[in-house]
Amino acid sequence: MAFAKVQVDMEEPKTRQQSFISWVKVRPYAMIFPAILVFALFFIYPIGYMIYLSFHDWNFVSPVKDFVGTANFSYLLNDRDFREVISNSFIYTFFTVALTIGISLLLAIWLNRSGKLYSFMQASIFSPHIISLVSVSMLWMWIMDGDYGLLNWLLNLIGIDSVAWLTSPDYALASLILVAVWKGIGFNTLVFIAGLQSIPKDLYEAAELDHTPPWRRFLKITVPMLSPTLFFLTIIGVINSFQVFETINLMTGGGPINSTNTFVYYIYEYGFQFFKIGYASAAGVILLIILSVLTLVYFKVLSKRVHYR
Amino acid sequence: MKKLSLFLIMALALMVMAACGNGEDSEPSASADTGGNADGKIELTYWYAWGDKIGENNQNLVKQFNESQDEIHVTAEFQGSYDELHAKTQAAFAAGNAPEVTQNEIASMGVFAKSGMTQDLTSFIEDEEIEMDDFNPGLMGNSYVDGKVYGLPYLRSTPILYMNATMAEEVGLSLDGPETWEDFKEYARAFTNDEGRVGMSGAIDLWIYEALIAQAGGSTMNEDYTEVAFNSAAGAQAFDLWRDMVAEGTLKLNSGTEAGDKMKQDFINGHSGMLFSSTADLSYLLQLADEKGFELRTYFMPSGEHAKVPTGGANLVMTNDLDEEKQQAAWEFIKFMTASEQTAYASEYTGYLPSRLSAAESEKMQSLYEEKPQFKVAVDQLENGIARPMAENYPEVVKILIDEMTRAILDDSIPTQDALDAAAEKANAVLK
Repeated sequence: MAFAKVQVDMEEPKTRQQSFISWVKVRPYAMIFPAILVFALFFIYPIGYMIYLSFHDWNFVSPVKDFVGTANFSYLLNDRDFREVISNSFIYTFFTVALTIGISLLLAIWLNRSGKLYSFMQASIFSPHIISLVSVSMLWMWIMDGDYGLLNWLLNLIGIDSVAWLTSPDYALASLILVAVWKGIGFNTLVFIAGLQSIPKDLYEAAELDHTPPWRRFLKITVPMLSPTLFFLTIIGVINSFQVFETINLMTGGGPINSTNTFVYYIYEYGFQFFKIGYASAAGVILLIILSVLTLVYFKVLSKRVHYR
Repeated sequence: MKKLSLFLIMALALMVMAACGNGEDSEPSASADTGGNADGKIELTYWYAWGDKIGENNQNLVKQFNESQDEIHVTAEFQGSYDELHAKTQAAFAAGNAPEVTQNEIASMGVFAKSGMTQDLTSFIEDEEIEMDDFNPGLMGNSYVDGKVYGLPYLRSTPILYMNATMAEEVGLSLDGPETWEDFKEYARAFTNDEGRVGMSGAIDLWIYEALIAQAGGSTMNEDYTEVAFNSAAGAQAFDLWRDMVAEGTLKLNSGTEAGDKMKQDFINGHSGMLFSSTADLSYLLQLADEKGFELRTYFMPSGEHAKVPTGGANLVMTNDLDEEKQQAAWEFIKFMTASEQTAYASEYTGYLPSRLSAAESEKMQSLYEEKPQFKVAVDQLENGIARPMAENYPEVVKILIDEMTRAILDDSIPTQDALDAAAEKANAVLK
């Protein structure tokens, strides 16, 4: 292997020159230094600063940052609205990810064949993915409008009463989940199709020779062979859904009555509308902790079940 | 291999140098910024909210200013709604590149002044011969924070009552307009029909609520902004006006991010007979009414026990920590923008109030009032004008109150006083 040779080259000067030994040791660090620098500047520093701010009361501008200890956190955890924000985020994430992945998987299995019709369907399903989220929000605001919207017009045609999609606390979160699923299906289906196509055909042929019923083939071959794809899409989906912002900002503004207020919107609201950056940072720290724990648990529990070839 | 590592070290060194070099580079350009540009002009940036007619008006006035003298050059930049403008100004100020002149929605004057983002203008006003008495006194309430002047009235408004006069005649209503809350309810009933038309399409909008509560003899906040005051008898009376009309089916209250647009759409499309909205919408609504072929008339807001109406819109402010030269330039610009001639221009162009008395009396405005009497209503109504509360945490109080009001509007079984008390309890905790 090329790598082995390089290793030998690198070992060589060790015996020749003392000063070069340290360079050999330092070199890998020097090489990752630029990446680490960028990482530290744009990730570690802001996170550290956020944690620092979360223990202070500050309005972004005044020269004085009042140290308030854990007051921001205790206020947050006692705030009924914030508890609602946490539960909204979990509900939104769970349904968005579960529905997107479920529907995408079914679509991928159906569309995983050649032919003009199937290519056309694939392209149509993928198209929402390339539309900007702002345009998607505007489009669905019109579709879901209570009085002049397309959805209610269709419902009325078949004799069903209008639904206040975005303006009723009972439906607003579900409507946002619907939009997220519609937007997410295209990308997920595409990745699933790629995953399906990399499963060796001989596995299915062998199963067919044994007269394995199709649902067993799906459970015993397709799902295990797709597990890396599933794993990847779930984790990306969870992280993205927890950070949803644009659709909420444009379509509901977190309302009605806080019913669609989720983490990032809540942070934005407190940081940039109410000018309470310390409090917003504390919420950010809690989001960071939740996401880290989720990711960690997910890796620990599920990575064992993922089948990598 | 050695060549490669040498190359990498060079590249790295180059990057580090570039990074340092950047720091040095930015120094002279920053000082050039404060000094002036190549032609020796002082460069200023001015941020404004809202597009369409209002945006054009801002751009046009800035152009006039740039052409009127050759020492200062102002660049006007659009920043979205008031909320977006405020958020961006705050972030820019923290980053050290705030615009020299910007707008403060009048209820936000307190937050900006108290957090040190805006410049106290008192000394400028004392030094110069600027006719402060010429500003309409009804508009000055929000210029003062702790007794000092922090901004001058610029694009200012009051809510007024818009009515579809063609429709009013069809249903046999007098074109004198409703004078009291009782008249207003009667009018709304007359407009409402079985085909989904309502008397008024509106929104759970705190500006309108501020008007109603003042008309009932109360206010949303106490005098020194330490506690809320909307859970008073007046507050309940004002909220009950909405709730009674919603229960009767004569008032439709929209909610959500589009509520403000929807109430105007309903009005323009003949789905409602009346509308409470800012006088700033006058030019725009007159044009749409003309296209739809109905006559639009404007009236004072109907009065309860008192005839009161809050003012709205934006004041011009100067950001803090400018050097003296820039301060002087920014002051020149603010003086120009709020002068009588420019005020008259802006008022005619948009429908905003002429904030100076001399502008309202000018020939230009008088002939406009003769031709389009709709423009005169808001000016006359200013005699009832009051300031908006400027509490530091007012935006958060507004959110809390709107949430509880929405809850009560959606659920008839919640008593009005309970809803307001619940909001008051949460809001007072925020104010502490």
